[in-house]
Order: sequence, then structure tokens, then C-alpha cells
Amino acid sequence: MMRYLLLAVNFVVVLLMAIAPWAVLKREFGGVGVLLTPFDLVNPQNLELPAMNTGWATPFFWIWALLVLGTSVVLFLPDARTRARLLYAIGVVGLALFAAEAIVFYQSVEAINGPALEAGTSPRRLPLRRFSLSLGAYLGVFFSLGMLILARLQLPGGKAFLVRYRGVVVPLVSLLLASFIGALVVGFIRPGLGAEGKVLPLLDAVATKLDLVTYTFQLLFSPIISLTGWFQSLLLATPLIFTGLAVAFGFRSGLFNIGAPGQLTLGAICAMVVGVYLPGPGWITLPLSIIAAALGGALWGAIPGWLKARFGAHEVINTIMLNYVAASLFLFLIASNEYKFFGATVHLPFKAEGFEARSNEVREGSRIPLMLDLLVRDGHISWAIPLALLLGLGVYYTQRRADLSRRLLISGAAVLVGYAAGGFLPGPAVELTSALTSSRFNGAFLLAVLALLFYNFYLFRTPGGYELRAVGLAPKAAEYGGVNLRSKIVLAMAISGALAGLAATHYVLGGGVDEYRLKQSLPTGVGFDGIAVALMGQNTPIGISLSALLFGVLLTGGLDLNQQLAISRELVTVLQALIVLFIAAGGFLPRYFIDPLQAAQVETEARAEQEDHERALIGRAG
Amino acid sequence: MKRLSPFMIGFLVVAAIAVVVLGMRVESAILIALFFSTLRQTTPLLLTALGGMFSERSGVVNIALEGMILFGAAAAAISVERLEAPMLAADPLARSAWIPWVGVLVGMLMGGLVATVYAIAVIRYRAEQIVTGTAINLLAAGAPPVLMQALYNTTTNSKEVENRLINIPIAGESISPLVFLAFLLVPLCWWVMFKTPWGLRLRAVGEQPEAADTMGINVYRMRYTAVILSGLLAGLAGAYLSVGFLNQFVKNMSAGQGFIALAALIFGKWHPLGVLGATLLFGFFRALAIQLQGGEVMPSVVVEAIPYVLTILVLAGFIGRSRPPAAVGKPYEK
Repeated sequence: MMRYLLLAVNFVVVLLMAIAPWAVLKREFGGVGVLLTPFDLVNPQNLELPAMNTGWATPFFWIWALLVLGTSVVLFLPDARTRARLLYAIGVVGLALFAAEAIVFYQSVEAINGPALEAGTSPRRLPLRRFSLSLGAYLGVFFSLGMLILARLQLPGGKAFLVRYRGVVVPLVSLLLASFIGALVVGFIRPGLGAEGKVLPLLDAVATKLDLVTYTFQLLFSPIISLTGWFQSLLLATPLIFTGLAVAFGFRSGLFNIGAPGQLTLGAICAMVVGVYLPGPGWITLPLSIIAAALGGALWGAIPGWLKARFGAHEVINTIMLNYVAASLFLFLIASNEYKFFGATVHLPFKAEGFEARSNEVREGSRIPLMLDLLVRDGHISWAIPLALLLGLGVYYTQRRADLSRRLLISGAAVLVGYAAGGFLPGPAVELTSALTSSRFNGAFLLAVLALLFYNFYLFRTPGGYELRAVGLAPKAAEYGGVNLRSKIVLAMAISGALAGLAATHYVLGGGVDEYRLKQSLPTGVGFDGIAVALMGQNTPIGISLSALLFGVLLTGGLDLNQQLAISRELVTVLQALIVLFIAAGGFLPRYFIDPLQAAQVETEARAEQEDHERALIGRAG
Repeated sequence: MKRLSPFMIGFLVVAAIAVVVLGMRVESAILIALFFSTLRQTTPLLLTALGGMFSERSGVVNIALEGMILFGAAAAAISVERLEAPMLAADPLARSAWIPWVGVLVGMLMGGLVATVYAIAVIRYRAEQIVTGTAINLLAAGAPPVLMQALYNTTTNSKEVENRLINIPIAGESISPLVFLAFLLVPLCWWVMFKTPWGLRLRAVGEQPEAADTMGINVYRMRYTAVILSGLLAGLAGAYLSVGFLNQFVKNMSAGQGFIALAALIFGKWHPLGVLGATLLFGFFRALAIQLQGGEVMPSVVVEAIPYVLTILVLAGFIGRSRPPAAVGKPYEK
């Protein structure tokens, strides 16, 4: 059955390769371009194109067609080992083919652009711009990777191999499914690039649609190739790390904290009160403002925790309600300074002068510095912070064997050494672009890294964290083991709330959006995005940082999408929602990927199978 | 039938007194306006909460109501706009009585469709219901703007429609026919829930699915029906917002009404009459908040927060005790 399904997949792959664009030779700002398909040059807007080598796609297509055909034959071979070996070979050959395609393509572009550049054309006006490989070529990569996995599946224990890595498999499958649906949505709502208001031949129309979908995803992922893109992505990832950790902390303790938006709001209010009104030197008021944000969030998290522990009220409904209460409180504080209750007037100090609803600005001393100011001193790169981070994390991860307190101590020392050494190292001079200097990427990112470390350290390295995870996995067993459930619920919600509250430091103290104050535009929705981050990261510290980064990149790329293709940036929200939906449904994978008991059974069976196999081998040898 | 808690009745009385006291100090015109405003504000809450009641009574938590309202509202507004566009192009003053009703139908079906997706995920694939509901809500925040950007070149609102539902004039004011429909649904839902075999089966599935299954009731089918019903009603509520109350879809126009409906469901103890009382109370607070804007009695942001605080108090048992259906939130495995 499975084989015939794969046969159908192979057929679809060849068909897509035949009609999809393999490369875009040149693209205008609005996305319109000249597409190279294996048998044709699609140029819907008749852009001017210099004579160049476009003949390479056809032979490559035929090689791929042969390769895919070969795969179809291999699938029906009787011996599993031969199948696996051949599939591995096909996967490797496929990847090599892709590399060859890339080299040929970029050489053919260079053949045109190189002489033009030497002739003195400015880099912005080269004959070929925004060129790239496209869907037809990328398909080969996906196909090859798929074949490599399929090869592993042919060998004994193949299924167990996938099940063992279900923490990666389920999110990735969900990401792929969500991207597929996102691609369908994009293809449905927009005409193909260059095909607007035109009747193209069917194959060309399909090619332009496929080009549109490919370019959409290229734009979404484009921030990873530029420094500005990385700055912006990390900027947007910072609050997601906090809220992702908050939600994940709740999940680990068996609680669903859907109240991160409210906790973030309270954190913002508390950070503002301390940051604006507490006088004193910065090195005292800044930490106090950060702590205030954590405490505000912790308070707002502890309330539903206490209500659950004391009265058994479900935390989900209560956190949702508290989100709205927090939103009202927020508006109450910054919308006006004068309220009337039954005729009596109440005065508040928080709203700043002017028409707009906003608080006063945080004092200069209590602001978190911009990352750029931390990384660059007097026009020279300062290695202090990167080196401190690198050494600290490196030592922490390499000293796994060491006793915990010792491990922390030497990591701390490594941070100090790194900071000091980095301060003395001469850094190269840098020219800062205006895009970099206008970036709001700030030191709250370092706090997020600290929060990640705290999460890893507290949950997985301390008795308290062990107890919390026990409560999350089996509350009754934990209680029998001597854990006080009620106090643990309150504690878990308070810490989860504190992590969400810390996200406010990015906005209020770090000026993450634009100003160092409370404004109505405070994006509390990142509290909900945290759910997607936590699920995608499977509640592990590394997973959360990677998924926060992924969403940061997508959100940054979404800006380009809006500008160039007039597709709303909310497409990223749609992708997020679909990812959450699919992960919740286990990626529509079989039950043994989701249920830990069934997963364990699959692995045990695989091990038994492996042993049988080995025994048979020994028997044959003997 | 379970009695409504004395506190619930007490609150209604307090609300009524508040109206009267306010009424003595203000002119009766304002009082009448407040009354009709309460009806208008109650309608979407009531429709949504009644739908949610079926879903939760069958054992499926429906936190996705908010998203279903939004999908319904967007579908209704966009379908009306698409339908009337050729007609208006021919004659800008042309009006049609049936177009808005088609929009209402499309809105309902959209709600039902989204509910079907939700139901498949949580019933067939046993996905965690809260997580899935959140995903639907997130989807409802993202999908309409993407579509509106493509159709109208703006993410914030759809084009205003000319053919909205025609209001019925009463006592100098006018209200949408859907308001009447919503209030008429209350006795109907009560009858279905407590006087028909289907209602009994539904409640059995939500309290003791295993027992119900033993008696030959198809648990999955009951739950699918109930969840889709909740989606249809939430979609209707959305259509009321976009083509009954306003004449366009505005991004995030439900603004938490799905969650308030959920709160009203808890407040009203999963009972149609309780739900009616609770939604009236919450609708009254919403109307009051609008009415008090810029006044001297109380800041409207404070009034807006009251329903949420009340719900928290009810859940904690400070005001009466609210007990959910026993099997709510638990996927059923045969």
C-alpha cells in the first residue's frame, strides 16, 4: 500500500519538476520575473533579458526524471538491505545534483553580471537582479532528503528511529503541513506573478502560480541572509522566547497558562511604575524595574494558581478572564488622569501630556541599552558580550559531569573572563548602516537568554523543578511522593507569570517597538504566540529558542511580503495557528508518535527485532 | 431542571434596581436607549453561549467560540459585498431583501465549517481541546486580514455593504430580526435539551460517555453534532455583528465576546435559562459601559471589566457554585 502511495508521490514530483520554474533569472521589485522552466522561458511581462545560458535546466530535468524512475523501481526490490543501500545512494546523488545545478546557475548569472560590474555598472543596476533558484530545484533537495529518511526506514528499527525523535518529527511534519496549506492559501488569493489581468497559456499560468508560492516562502525566510535581518528577527524573537518559556513552564507543571497576555500587561505596568518614578542611579533602578516586571507577571499568574489550588477553579477560564481585566486596568491607567466615581473625582499620575493614551517615559537610567550600543564601542566591535556569552554557555554545556554548584561557578567565572578578555581584544572598525542603527534590538535579548538558562536549570537540575515536572506528569503520584500539590500549583503559575511579565522589559524598558513607555499598541498578542512557540519547541529550552527564532524570522520576512507582494503579514499568524492545530492533532501521524506508552512499545519491539536479527547473523556465521 | 441560584436572581434584581435608580436621575429616553442597547449587546452573547452550551454539554470544551464568531462575521460581510457588487454596479440605489439573509446563512455555514475542523481535530484525533481551540482563535485573528488584503487592499476592515439586515421598528427604536431569533431560541434550546430524547442523550454523553456508549448511543456522532451546532450559532452571532449590528467586518470585531459568552455559560450553569440571565446581565454591563462613556457615574473601562471579575468569583464559588459537565474536556476513546 505504502509503496503505491510513494509511487504516486514520485509521479507528482516529476510532474511538478516538469512544469515548475527551476530558476528565476531576474525579478522586479513587485515580484514579476523571468522564469526558467525545463522546456521554456516564461516571461509574462516581457522583461528585457540579456542572452545567457538557459539550456542547463532541460538535461538536469531528464536526469532527475531517470533518478525518480529509478527510485520507483528500487521500491519494489525484495531485499530490504539492497533497497536501503540504493535509496541512500539516490539521496546522495540527488543532493550532488542540486549542488551542480546551483553551480551551473550561479556561473551562468555571473557570466552576465561579472562583465557588467567590471564595466562600472552600479551593483543596484546590474542586468540580472534578485535572481535565485526556484521550486523545481528545491524539490530535488526535499526529494533527496525524503529518500535518505526512507532508506533509514527500510533497515531494522527504522520506525523506532522516527519514533525516538518524535519531538522533532511531529513539529517538522506540522510545519510542512502548515506551509503546504499556507501555499494553497497564497495561490488561491493572489494571481500568479506577472499574470495579473492576462490570459496566459495553461502551463505558463501554472508556472507563475508556483513561482508566486515559492517567492512567498523565499521572502518569509529571506531575513536569515542579512545582518539587518538577523537583528530584526532576534528583536521579534525576544518576547516570544519569554512567553514561549512561560507557556512551556505551565505545560511542564501540568497547567495551561493561556494568560500570558495579561501577565505581560501587568509586568509592563509594574516596570513602568518603577522605571518612571523610582529615582536613583541606573545600576540600581534598572534591575529593580526588571524585577518589578517579573513580580507583576508573577502576581497575575499566582491569582489563577491560587484560585485553582484553593477552590479548584480551572486555570484556563480564569487566565482568559484576567487577560481582559488586565487590559481594562492598563487602559484605565493610561487613558486619563481624572476619573469620576459617582460624582467624586479620582486623580491618577500616570498618563503623559497630550491626546494619545500613553504613560510617561521611563527614566534614562532605567532603560535597557540597545544591543548595538553593547556590541559596538566607538565605531569598533566590542567582543566583551559575545565572548562572555560564548564562554559561559560553552563551559556550562561542556562541564556536564561536574557537580551542579561547581558547574555554575565555573560558568560564571567563564562569563567574567570572557567579558574582561573581550573588552581588551581589539575589534575591527565597523561602518554602521542606517538600517542597523534604527533597529530596536536591545539588551532584553540577553535577559531572554538568562531566562532560558533559568528554565533549563530550575526545571531539570533542582529538586523543586523535579517536583514540578512530577506534578505535571502524574499529580497523584507526586502527591503520594510527598509533594504539596496546592503550593506547587501556585508556585508554577507564579513563575510562569513572571516569565511572561519579563517579556514586558523588552517593550517598556528596552523600547522594543519604538518608545520607552506604555502605549495602547503594546502587542500583548505575543502571549498567545507563546503557545505556538512552546508547542513547536516541545517545551525544551533549545526547541523554544529555535522556534522563537523561526517565528522571529517569519515575522520579519512578513514585512517584505507585505511590501513586495501585497500579501498581508498576518499570513505568519495563519501559519502559526495551523502549526499549533497540527501539533495538537499529533501531525496526523499514527498514535505511537503521540502516546509515550505506545512509543516505548515500538522502541522495545524494534530492539527485540534488532537482537533477533543479530542472533540470526551470529547463527549463520557459526 | 436545576434551580437558578438565588445569587443569580439577586444580581438581576440589583441590575434592575440600578436601571431604575439611574432612570430617576436621567430622562426616560436614555433609559429606553439603554434597554434596547442591552438587547443588542446581549444577542451575540446569547447566540454564542447557547451554541457553546450544546458543545460543552456533550463533553467538548469550546474555547474556539471567539474564532467561530470572527469567521462567521467575515464570511457574512464578504459574501454580502460580493453578492451586491454586480447589482450596485448596475444601479447604486438598488436594494435587495434576500442578499443579507444569504450573508447570514453563509456566516452560519462558515461557523459550522470551522467547528467541523475543530471537531475532527479534537474528536477524531483526540487533540488537546484547549490548545486546538486556541489554534482556531489564532487562525481567526490571521485568516480574515489575509483575505481582506487580497480583496480590499486593507487588513483592518471589509468594504461597507449597502444591504444589511433590515431592522424592525419598535417604540421609536429599531432592532434586528436576529435579536428576536436569539431570544426565541432560548425556550427552543431548553425544550431540546431537557424534553427530547436527543437532549437526554447529549447530556448523558457529556456526563458519562462510557455509560452512554453501553446504551447504544454513538458518542462521536453526538459530539460532532453538538460542536457543529455550536459553530453554526457562533457563526450566526458573527453574522449579526457584521451585517446586523454594523455593515462591515472589522478586524477582531468580536473583541472577546466569545470569551464573555463562555463566561456566561459558566455563570448560567450550562442551563438555557441561566445562560439567558447571565448574557442579559453581561449585555447590560456592556450597554452600560457605552452609555456611561464620558459620564460622571463610573469610568466605562471599569464597567467593562465587571463581567470578567464576576465570572472569576463564580468559578471560585464565591457566588453560587458552578459545576461543569463531568466529562467536559476529556477525549473519548472507545
